[in-house]
Amino acid sequence: MKITIALAGNANVGKSVIFNRLTGLHQHIGNWPGKTVERAEGTLFHVDYTIDIIDLPGIYSFSTFSMEELISREYIAKEKPDVVINVVDATNLERNLYFTLQLLELGRPMIVALNQMDLAEKKGMCINIKKLQEVLKVPVVPVIATQGKGIHELVHTAIDLVENNYKKPEIKYGKEIENEIQKVVKTLKKIKLDYPQRFLAIKLLEGDEEIKRLIQEVDPNIVKIAEKHAKKIECVHGHNRSTIIASERYKIANEIVKDCVSLKPCKVRFSDKFHEITTHGFWGYLIMILSVISLFYVIFTFGNFFSDILVESLINLKPIFDQYFGVGIVSSLAWGVMEGLIAGITIVLPYILPFYIILGLLEDSGYLSRIAFLMDRFMHKIGLHGKAFIPLMLGYGCNVPACLGCRIMETKRERLIAIFVTTLIPCAAVTTVILGLVGKYVGLDWAFSLYIVNLMIVFILGRIAFKVFPGEPTELIMEMHDYRMPHLKTVAKQAWFRIKDFIYIAFPLIIACSFIIKVLDVTNLSESIENLMKPITVDWLGLPAFSGITLIAGIPRKELTLIILAAHGGTTNFGTILTPVQMIVFSLVTMLYIPCIATIAALIKEIGWKKAIFITVFEIVFAIFVGGIAFRLLTL
Amino acid sequence: MSEKTIALINLKEGQRGIIVSVLGGRGVTQRLTDMGLTPGTEFKIVRKGRLCPVEISVRGSKLAIGCGVAAKILVKVKE
Repeated sequence: MKITIALAGNANVGKSVIFNRLTGLHQHIGNWPGKTVERAEGTLFHVDYTIDIIDLPGIYSFSTFSMEELISREYIAKEKPDVVINVVDATNLERNLYFTLQLLELGRPMIVALNQMDLAEKKGMCINIKKLQEVLKVPVVPVIATQGKGIHELVHTAIDLVENNYKKPEIKYGKEIENEIQKVVKTLKKIKLDYPQRFLAIKLLEGDEEIKRLIQEVDPNIVKIAEKHAKKIECVHGHNRSTIIASERYKIANEIVKDCVSLKPCKVRFSDKFHEITTHGFWGYLIMILSVISLFYVIFTFGNFFSDILVESLINLKPIFDQYFGVGIVSSLAWGVMEGLIAGITIVLPYILPFYIILGLLEDSGYLSRIAFLMDRFMHKIGLHGKAFIPLMLGYGCNVPACLGCRIMETKRERLIAIFVTTLIPCAAVTTVILGLVGKYVGLDWAFSLYIVNLMIVFILGRIAFKVFPGEPTELIMEMHDYRMPHLKTVAKQAWFRIKDFIYIAFPLIIACSFIIKVLDVTNLSESIENLMKPITVDWLGLPAFSGITLIAGIPRKELTLIILAAHGGTTNFGTILTPVQMIVFSLVTMLYIPCIATIAALIKEIGWKKAIFITVFEIVFAIFVGGIAFRLLTL
Repeated sequence: MSEKTIALINLKEGQRGIIVSVLGGRGVTQRLTDMGLTPGTEFKIVRKGRLCPVEISVRGSKLAIGCGVAAKILVKVKE
């Protein structure tokens, strides 16, 4: 038998841990049709049942403020999953129940998975599960997802719900509001829509535009009547109608918590102390700067070491390769494909993977939201709020997942600005170029200065973008959940999905482009391209002529610039073919001149053709401009 | 409790208050009420340095709120 289960709940309550526990490796991550919102789907085989599991986006309510909310409620109402599992954070019951109450209004058979019971206990909370079950009138299953506790019970309870008749619970609002709801429900008697009538009635009273539109099409009279009732409520309570309904729900949630939870006093926990220090006006910033610097230091020293070994062992394949394909044009072209593959592997394994795992640990533990808190003021200067710091950090690994990471921004405009500044962030590949060229031959201080210059450029261009795109910035309203031990498996999975973005989008493009460059090489076309580019490379940027083709090579992957530079300069000792100024100019241009081809593909996916091309062209012109200025200013 | 309403941003670190109302558009109001900042809710200012945002504790959890929003939330100070 086939059943569908939907997982719904707030953000950061361990929904994805439960999803992973349930589905294991049978997962499919894609997008909701036509939307840039992630859709995670998986399958669980249990005795005679094939259970499809959908992980809905983490949200706080159904008020259509965001795309995620709209998708979630439409999915539950229209696709009618057999069971909805509402994942609830036991340590933060009141806010979570606010969403539970709204889920109940959608009328699907439901289970409450009370997650993070271990943390709730540590917090001194004692939750009366039986009582909670009685009040909510749905099964409540205590779960510790990170340890796998309660997962089996969830599945059994879900199957029970499907096999036995489910009685729809109804949670009553306060008397005055409940009366108005009942009156509106009466007018809806003949309406047949995907949504339950009680849900429609409440949404009409709240003034939900989408539902109003739906009813308007069927019977405009109902909307008029509902408006009258809504006015009445507003008159009595003296607040905006949606605020009144929200208050009402929170009142119910608060009463449930009072009834079902007893608090024992407990001593100040380490996590609270740590929270205090990491958000402190002085120590917080100090810890942030130190942890970011050590993150980079560890990743790039470790990465460099590991990458060298990897490159060496892969290059050693060349003789075997030649044996197989012989020596000649075909083998040379085939090796071009291999070089692309090697370039991809030697950037993913040593740099991007460890970077994303450590970043994932920081994210899952809760530290990144503290950085977002500290950075909010600065991010506001470029029209973004603190949360935009997270995709920016991802950008230092690879720009592709960073662009997709900008989805956490609330509005289109902010997503665009965030994506734009993200493409200016030097990714791991650029860092290898900067360290391998400027860091090695000119000095680490100069390499470091390039990063500072980059941050200044990000700031200035971000500020200009903020002024160019009209609109008010959205303010930060962010929950900071308690610090917790990161869950390794979830972190590893998250890192894998981010890298998968890179592999699927970038790998084929890298390989294709490496092949094309080899073709140019073999056919001697590269020389004529170099000559064509001379006015820019030699006259304006002051670089040697052979740098032309290397900059083109950077379009697929920026770290290729170094490899091609070595090939065309005829040596890996760059000190003999470039002057220090040339190295700095070359690195600066590489850093800024184009979001690599994989990033362009990601840009097209996220913001469309036109804007993607605009950003690309702008950055090429801008990089050449800055490079030329640097060449004229620098004297070393 | 004082009868005067002031903006949340004017409270000092450690002070407690009660939400009276939220000024501003439907979007902001909805987001704040969804996070539990409904009229009549008690909260405490946990952190407010020279720099924004403000951290408040409300309904048993911690919220970071940008200064722009914090200026639009009207509250009563609880002594």
